[in-house]
Amino acid sequence: MNAEIFEDVQETAIDQPQRSGSQLKRFVLGLPSRPGTMFLTALLFILAVCFVDSFTSTRLVPTYIKHILVSCLIYSLLTLALNFVSGYIGQTSLGHAAFFGIGAYITTLLTKYTPVNFWISIPIAMAIAALVSIPLAMVSQRVKGSFLVVITYGFGEVLRYVVINTPSLGASAGIPGVPAPLFFGTKFGRIGPSGKEAYILLAFGIVALTAFFMHRIAKSRTNYAFSAIREDEIAAVAMGINTKYYKMAAFMLSAVLSSVAGSLQATYAAFVSPEMLSSTQSILILTMVIVGGARSIKGAILGAFVMTILPELFQMVKDVLGLPFDPWMILYGLILITMMRLRPQGIWGKGAGQ
Amino acid sequence: MELLQQVINGLAQGGIYSLIAIGWTTVFGIVGVMNWTHGEVYMLGAYVGYFLCMAGMPLLPALIIAMAVGAVLAMLIDHLGYRPLRKKRKMLTAGFITALGLSTFLRYSATAAFTPDPRAYPGILDYKMLSLFSMGGSTLAISSIHMTILAATIVIMVILQLFISKTVTGKAMLAAAQDMQTLELMGAESEKLIKVTFAISGALGAAAGVFVGIIYSVNPMMGALAGLKGWSVAILGGIGSITGSLVGGLILGIAESLTAGFISTGYKDAIGFTIMIAVLLIKPTGLMGFRFEEKV
Repeated sequence: MNAEIFEDVQETAIDQPQRSGSQLKRFVLGLPSRPGTMFLTALLFILAVCFVDSFTSTRLVPTYIKHILVSCLIYSLLTLALNFVSGYIGQTSLGHAAFFGIGAYITTLLTKYTPVNFWISIPIAMAIAALVSIPLAMVSQRVKGSFLVVITYGFGEVLRYVVINTPSLGASAGIPGVPAPLFFGTKFGRIGPSGKEAYILLAFGIVALTAFFMHRIAKSRTNYAFSAIREDEIAAVAMGINTKYYKMAAFMLSAVLSSVAGSLQATYAAFVSPEMLSSTQSILILTMVIVGGARSIKGAILGAFVMTILPELFQMVKDVLGLPFDPWMILYGLILITMMRLRPQGIWGKGAGQ
Repeated sequence: MELLQQVINGLAQGGIYSLIAIGWTTVFGIVGVMNWTHGEVYMLGAYVGYFLCMAGMPLLPALIIAMAVGAVLAMLIDHLGYRPLRKKRKMLTAGFITALGLSTFLRYSATAAFTPDPRAYPGILDYKMLSLFSMGGSTLAISSIHMTILAATIVIMVILQLFISKTVTGKAMLAAAQDMQTLELMGAESEKLIKVTFAISGALGAAAGVFVGIIYSVNPMMGALAGLKGWSVAILGGIGSITGSLVGGLILGIAESLTAGFISTGYKDAIGFTIMIAVLLIKPTGLMGFRFEEKV
């Protein structure tokens, strides 16, 4: 029964007719639709946010906004990463915070306790994340749907408990004082007026590269294999597609990219804690992908931005009104329910271009 | 001796896990949705029981009212949350996210309404350590509260088992767990059946909530971990099997209390997930599950 319902979900998502909305949208919002133009616009925007206040005596862009921007970009990288698994091969994973945490912890341990610097720690963390993702990818060969959700969830949680119970990893307190990366001998925090510019540019660069890579994959033959697996795995096997290979590739890519996001986050916040591995984090990333729109690059980035900025706004509302509870979480639940009722494919889901 | 004592502690705790798991497993087996809201129904049931007991009501009627409220609540959740998706036949991903949204909504609404502070039930059951067995100066003991609750759990399960094996609705539920569409072709009303399933699930969840509230305390976040334990147990015992859930719950309770006693209390909550992952990999149908491999 499950399998059939699942197919229906996918079919409706795909058969969604391409409405003339894209032209209208471009007209109304002035959003460029070509990837190149999009990249340039985003780059100009980021540069403006970063450096406009270096030329004036007063701060035009508060540091707080720059801080949010870094968070948004790091989450964008995570949603793009999860998109490989949840979007392209259609396997819901609730354990991706584990890879995020692996990246963060490896970078922290290497830069803090060994002479290895930040730039070299990234590929090492990527390799370790890829290794750890192998068992999860193998599991996905055997188990599907809700059961894979359960397994990935359990995987993440078990890893979190291991970290919490290992004193050398800082246990539940985490590890503070992660050294900042150096750029030709200058600390990242010393570049730009508020010290966050270098992180913004680095994160933006990685997100842009990842988005470009995904864009190429979406146009390649690999994507046909991914779609075949997503739509009907048995048929894909029958057609001679090496589903094992493609699933493994999707999981590994996803893990590797998540670990890069983790490395960035660790060095940016100069602090790692087991909270980074928590299931709340995994669920957040998954909802970002779903709200933004699975299998859509723009959707994934949009989802990350929306779901990072909204809680901050509501935090302000909470502080202004002095509410004893967090209104965002209640609204978050409502958003998910209404989304699934009205637009289950996400804001920018399939059909609006990739 | 200490080992046996840990096993007994585990049994008492495991009974509650079983109750949660049965509620979860019936919904998952029949409707096919990972019902994250189950933990929230459990939490709200615990609050209903708390307020009734604070108002001076004796335990048994309070328990029954809490179960009724849990049943209504679960039916409402289904009616407002899942039914529209079922009609559009978009259950798997959308149903899962909806469940997530509903559970977040309920959990944080409860935090807003009841404040996050834990509250303790008034002392409605006397706390006594009953010694079961003594040898060489050490005694095996179980608290009277745990004993009562374990007994109540078993009574509830026997009633449920009778309902399922003796009534037409119960048999239809069993059939639905296997193949809902065929059952529909044979003239059963699936919507009605799903309503009954949610009602039963909610009632069991609320009962478990009241029991846990009596032993520990109630707080708006209690549903989260309990819900997860429910999954682990249901998967360990086999989705859709009531006896399986009972056995699975007892095994998880014992495993947890042994882990806490002999390895580290820090790993107590991780053991459930480890067992669950191992079961899914080795024997996806669980200890007593039906064979429905195509779902896995």
